[in-house]
Order: sequence, then C-alpha cells, then structure tokens
Amino acid sequence: MKRKTHPALIAFTVLTFFFLLGPLVVILGSALSDTPFLTFPPQGLTLHWFQNIFEISAFTRTMGTSFMLAVGGTALSMLIGIPAAYALARYRVELPSFLGNVFVLPILIPEIVLGFSLMKSLASGLGTPIMATLLVGHALLVLPYCVRVVGASLNSFDFSIEEAAVSLGCPRWRAFFTVVLPNIRAGIIAGFILAFITSLNDVSISIFLTGPGVSTLPIQLLAHMEQFFDPTIAAVSVLLMGVTVAVMAVVERTLGLTFLTK
Amino acid sequence: MTVSLSLENITAHYGTVKVLEDLSLHIAEGELVSLLGSSGCGKTTTLRLVAGFLEPTAGTIKLGDRDLTRLPAHARNIGLVFQTYALFPHLTVRENVGFGLKQRGVAAAERATRVNAMIERVGLGELADRHPANLSGGQRQRVALARALVIDPPLLMFDEPLSNLDAKLRVDMRVEIRRLQQANGTTALYVTHDQEEAFSISDRVAIMNAGRIMQLDRPEVLYSNPANAFVANFVGFENMIEMRAVAEAGDAVRAEIKGGGTIDLPKSQFTVPAQEFLFATRADGLQVAATGQGIACTLGLRTYIGRAYQYHCDTPAGQLVANGPLAHPFESGANAVLVPQPEQCCLLPKEA
Amino acid sequence: MSHRMQAWLLAAPATLLVFVFLGLPVLSTLAMTFADPKGPLASYAAFFNSGFRMTVLWRTMEVALTTTILSVGIGFVVAWVVARAPSRLKSLLIIAAVFPLLTGVVVRAFAWLVILGKNGILNSFLLWIGAITEPLSMLYTQGSVIVAMVYLFVPLMILTLVGVLEGIPQDLTDAAASLGATPAAAFRQVVLPMAVPGLIVGSVLVFTGSFTSYATPQLLGGERQMMMGTFLYQRAMVTFDWLGASTIAAVMVVVTLATVLLMSRLARKLNPVAG
Repeated sequence: MKRKTHPALIAFTVLTFFFLLGPLVVILGSALSDTPFLTFPPQGLTLHWFQNIFEISAFTRTMGTSFMLAVGGTALSMLIGIPAAYALARYRVELPSFLGNVFVLPILIPEIVLGFSLMKSLASGLGTPIMATLLVGHALLVLPYCVRVVGASLNSFDFSIEEAAVSLGCPRWRAFFTVVLPNIRAGIIAGFILAFITSLNDVSISIFLTGPGVSTLPIQLLAHMEQFFDPTIAAVSVLLMGVTVAVMAVVERTLGLTFLTK
Repeated sequence: MTVSLSLENITAHYGTVKVLEDLSLHIAEGELVSLLGSSGCGKTTTLRLVAGFLEPTAGTIKLGDRDLTRLPAHARNIGLVFQTYALFPHLTVRENVGFGLKQRGVAAAERATRVNAMIERVGLGELADRHPANLSGGQRQRVALARALVIDPPLLMFDEPLSNLDAKLRVDMRVEIRRLQQANGTTALYVTHDQEEAFSISDRVAIMNAGRIMQLDRPEVLYSNPANAFVANFVGFENMIEMRAVAEAGDAVRAEIKGGGTIDLPKSQFTVPAQEFLFATRADGLQVAATGQGIACTLGLRTYIGRAYQYHCDTPAGQLVANGPLAHPFESGANAVLVPQPEQCCLLPKEA
Repeated sequence: MSHRMQAWLLAAPATLLVFVFLGLPVLSTLAMTFADPKGPLASYAAFFNSGFRMTVLWRTMEVALTTTILSVGIGFVVAWVVARAPSRLKSLLIIAAVFPLLTGVVVRAFAWLVILGKNGILNSFLLWIGAITEPLSMLYTQGSVIVAMVYLFVPLMILTLVGVLEGIPQDLTDAAASLGATPAAAFRQVVLPMAVPGLIVGSVLVFTGSFTSYATPQLLGGERQMMMGTFLYQRAMVTFDWLGASTIAAVMVVVTLATVLLMSRLARKLNPVAG
C-alpha cells in the first residue's frame, strides 16, 4: 500500500532487463532469419538453419559428447558428493572444520588453471584417455554445486527423524535410503540440474582437453564461430536456450525459482 | 507533552481484503489503551496505520490537533516498540538509542547526554557499546524501549513487545513499561494477544475481532461484565447456556433452559431486554451440589485445579464445566445439580 | 565402527577427488614455475619484466575492475527495484534474470558478435536510420569485451543482491522511519551498511570471474585484446610454452586467492552484526 519506487529507478530496471533479454531475442532472430547476416529491418523467416544443425556432423557428435559428459560428470560428482555432504552435516564434531572448504576449492581455483593443469598432469603427463580426463574435470567442476546444494537441504533436515527410524528397528543404511534421501530429494534435483547445466556450458576446462578426436558442443561452437559466421550457430544456441528453459521449469516445479536468490 | 489519539471511522484494505471496518477509537491524554485479540483481528494493522506504514482507505487519524492520516511515517514522531525489537544490527546500543535524535538533528553533545541518561534509566549502562547480537532478549527489549522513549514522543506504541521473552521476564518487563509510561505521562497504544498482559497494565482494553472493536472498557468491566458472547468467550466464560424468559414471580424471573428444565434468576440481573438470551458463566459460576435449585446433570471427568475440583458435566443444555468443593469430591457418573452463582454470571444478547 | 571412521569413509571419495585431481595437478603447475633452468624465480622475472605480459595483466585487471564496478552499480539498482516489487512481478523478474544466467557463456558471447559485428544488427540499424554511412568496427575492442562481461555478470549480481536486500527485515526500515528517518536517510544509514557484506561477496564473484574468463575475451577481444585467460591458452596450446603458461596460471591463482582472502577479511570487518 505504501512502498513507492522512484520512476527513474523503474526506468533503469526496465532498460537493464531489455539489455539482459534483448541479445537472446537477437539470437532467436538470427536463427530464423533467411539472410546469413541478421539485418535491420529483418527479412524473411526460415527453419533452414535448424535443419542444417543435423547436417553438420561436428555438431551432432559433440552434442552427444556434451550430454553424456554432463550426465556422467554430474552423476559421478553426486555419487561422491552426497555422502560427503551427509558426513559434513551429520558428523559436525567428528570431522575437521576445514573439510567443508575443501569441496569449494574447485570454485576458488580459476577453472582455466584447473583445465590447463589437468591437461598437463593427466592427459599429457600420464597419458590418460581424453574422455576420462574430461569426466574427472567436469566432476570436479560441479562438485561444489552438488555438495553445497545437497548440504543446504541436509542442514535443514531434522536428523531426529533418522534416529526415530533407527529406534524403530531400521538399519542405518536403510534409514538413509528410506528416510534421509526422500527428504532431501529437492536439494538433490536442484544440485543435479545446476551441475548439469554448468557442465554442459563449460568452456574453460574442456578447451584444454579437446582435440580433433573428442570435443564438446561449446568448444565446437567456439571453434566454428572463430572461423565463419554461420546462422547455424544461432540455431544451436536456440536449442541450448531450450535446454535452459526446460531446466528452469524443473527447478521451478521442485524448489521454486526464488531458491536461486538464496 | 501529552496529547490524545483519535481514530475516526477507519477502514483499511489489504488488496481487496477488508481488514478494518469503520473503526473508531479515542485514547485520552496519558492513557494506555491495549488492543487485544487473536492474530488476524486487525490489531497490528491498526497500529501500523497509526505509525504510517499503511494508509487507510477511509477515515482520519489525529494526534492532538495534528491530522496524521496522510503524513509520511518519518514525520509522525511516534515512539514504536516492535515485536522483533527491530534493533539495527550494525549499530551499538548507544547508536541505536541515539538514532532518532540524530534524525532530528540534535547536536552531538546533547545527544550523548540524553542517550546516556536514557540508557542508565533502562539499566543498560554497562552494555552501551555492545552490538545487539551480543545482548539477551530482555536487554534487547530494553534497548528498543529506550530508543522509542528518548525521542520524547507524544505517543508510544507497542506491537506485541513481550512475545519473544520468557514468562518471568514478560511480567517484569510489562511492569517496567507501565512504570516508564506513567512516569512520562505519555499516551500509549499497546497491541497484544495476551489477555493477562493487556489487563494488568492498561487503563482500557479494546477487544477486537475481524477488524472491529467488540468492546472497549476498563479491564475490570471486561472481566466481569462482557457485553457480548465473543468477549465473554474471550475472557474465559466457558459456559454459554441458551435460555428464554417465560414468567415473572416477585424478585425472580423464571427462565426456560434450552434442552429442558427451568431456573429462577434474580430480576436485578436482567439487563438484557430480549426474551431469548445467553446465560454465561465461568466454571466458578456453577457450583456442583448434591441437591438444590439449578441445572440437573450427570458428572463426567473430574480434574483437580488447586482451589477446587472441576467437573465436565452432561446436562440437557449440553456439556458444561463446573467447580465443586474440595471437601466433597463427587464420583464420575453421579447425578448432581449445578447451582448458578448470580454474582458470577451474566446475561448476554443472543447473537443474530 | 566409530563415528569418526564412518564420517571419514563417507567423505573420503570426494576429498580424494579434490586432492588427487585438483590439488596435485595445480600444485605441480605452481611447482613448475620455480623449475626454470635459468633460476628459481626466473620465470616470474621474465613475466614481470615483459612489457607485453604486463600489458595483458593490467588490461585484465582494468577490464575485471570496470566490469565489477558496472555490475555492482547496475545490479544494486535493479535488485533494489526487484526486491520491492509485488511478489508476482518479482518472480517474473527473477526468472528473467535467471534465464541469461543459465544460458552458456558461448551463447551469450555469440549474441554480442551478432549485435556488434561489422555486419551486425547494430551497424545495420545505424545505417538504416542514417546515423552512419560506414559500418563501425566495434568488435575486438576493450569496450566490446566489457559490454559482454557486464552482460555476463549482471544477472549474478542482481540475484545475489536481491537475496541480500530481502534478508534485511522490513521492520528495520520501518523502525528507522518511526524514529524520523526519511527514506533516503534510512537507505543510507540502515540498508546500505547492512548490504555491504553482500556487495563484497558479489563483487568478489564478478571480479574473479571476469579476471579468469576465457570464452568472452576470446570471442569479443580476440588477439588484439588478449587477457590472462586467453593468454594462458595461447601459451599452452599454440606456442606450447608450458613454463610461461604455468607462470600465467600462478599469477591468476595468486590474484584470485588474494582477492578472495582480502575481501572476505574486509567483509568480516564491515559485517554489521559483528561483536
């Protein structure tokens, strides 16, 4: 009833959102425009560029690689991240306090330094297969998201529920699966999704670990963009934005998007 | 400086929901009036309207001669104590208390004197340089009080100021609040859902429900002579019996109890003109006896409440609660009579 | 099995992953910088004495700092408006900020190639309205890098600060008003000091993020606007100068960690709820 906002601030905010969303609309425009360069005023519309995606094998191949890598890296990270988050939340006294920070290290160390170091020590130094090195790199990249988001829901989890299950005769391991996991499901879904999208969009680590044989979609796009301007890139970008929309819909349904401001 | 506060025909909406309807209230100079009611009754809305955080849809708010209705909150000069204390976490006790004086452009030297005096007065002298995070609940409450008092407001308002304190501290603090309010002679509006708290320190209490004042009077009157069924229920009249006056006989009126039986009531009590009325009592107002003039019943569960035994009784008028003497406990299942104690009963109009 | 054992067993796989695959490789990169055959600190001497390398470092600092300042400024105003918006509109605005945030860096940098390019939509528009007769070259300038970087980080800043501003209870601004503070005074004396730790956290995220970015300077700055990230890549993968690349990596790690440590100390010092 009372709080009024100055019109100048509102105007500034409207301009900012125009700045944030306008470029994405421009991409959509180029993907649909029948001229190779998006011109003003726009010319005719076509779906040709979307069709073209599937005729360029580099795109379809790397799309598959990126998807597998994002799912695999996130799954691996979750598999080891959930127990770690559980241990941090459940055994506060038994574990040293610095351990929580260890899992945040991948955020603290510049990604590009991590990418370079993995290439130098693993791929080049030990000759590990590219795909395995990528998988490890992506698992590391997303580990902080897994541990922190799952950890956040574990911190609001009432462990006396688990104790109640155990007191009713349920073994500890089964109590974890039947009582703890269902109650932190939202955190796991959110963590998985944030991790997935982070991995899917990653450039700084993958750039060092890809080559002619194996590449990821963002790296392929990057290489393509540097060489020639092709609206097919815009079409791929639109597909990637579609993935973002799908992800946001899932987050909205599980947690509500306001979760992201916390 | 003491002035009166008047709310005249206030109506307020949250969006499309009406939260206050045609509410009028006058608080005399130096008087402490409480708004009492359960959550959602409109008591906090009323306070926020006076504070200027909300705007009424219709009506006028006046402090003395000053019309506050359209004045921004920061220009109203009202001391406000919040339920959450609302202490500024980044400022020390001293800075918190001095905040209002600083806004008024009071010079640093005078500010320091007044702040220190006020901090001493609420007994926080040693904690003046601490941050709120390092204070206990009671200490925070004192800072909030000092902060509201130091600006010498013509009106003090309290929004459930004690609900975050433990029971013992609550009693101490309300005495303290009353003492400071009386010492300054400041007009005060006090919002609470705690009946004991409101009754103990208020000159008058307004019991609110669904955006209206149901009754506004001295606590003594509210306690023994509620004006309607809502207030009676609120102040603890457990038994409401529907009756119908049927005949007069000398000093008594004979009334028919809904469900069966009759009872003679003293004529002097008949303040309700209608033929159909509600007969309201607390458990104390119905005495369990083996025989006598009253409502026949079958005794159910017996509990011990210290000064008496309390019985849950089945009567033709429904379930009633009554007290019986400690000297003669009755067994569950026994037949008995509930004898009304006229001075502890009241007759209320039947709700429309 | 003791609780301590259980705890460690559960935490072990993740801990090992970080130590073995992040700790060791990064340490080996840092160690390599001291293994220059010309002497233990020779690689650093080479770095800090080279005009070109220092230009890259300063340019990166400048771009990161400008990006941070602009993002904080824009983000704070927008977050203020968003935080005070009615709840339906607020959710909508938050969605509008999250969407670009979850869209990949490559896609977002690509958008600016389309907009700022020689044949881009901005030039095409300016030509069409007759404001210019020759297309402007806006790409591969410091300006184009900064615009794209601000574009990258403003959503992050908005979301961080909306959280911060919403965390300031409305009772506090109400209390300030009841004590006579005008809205401007309440903002300056209550809201701003309470938002400082959040502003610092947001600034650190933006500064370190833009300092270490790769894709955006690569696409919008190119060879001409080399930054630390693109420089590291070029040394490692184009000229195969791993010692040089490791030195760049070391400088990036030091700047990042120093920023994080200094700023978190500052945040703690300015923390309003400090004792």
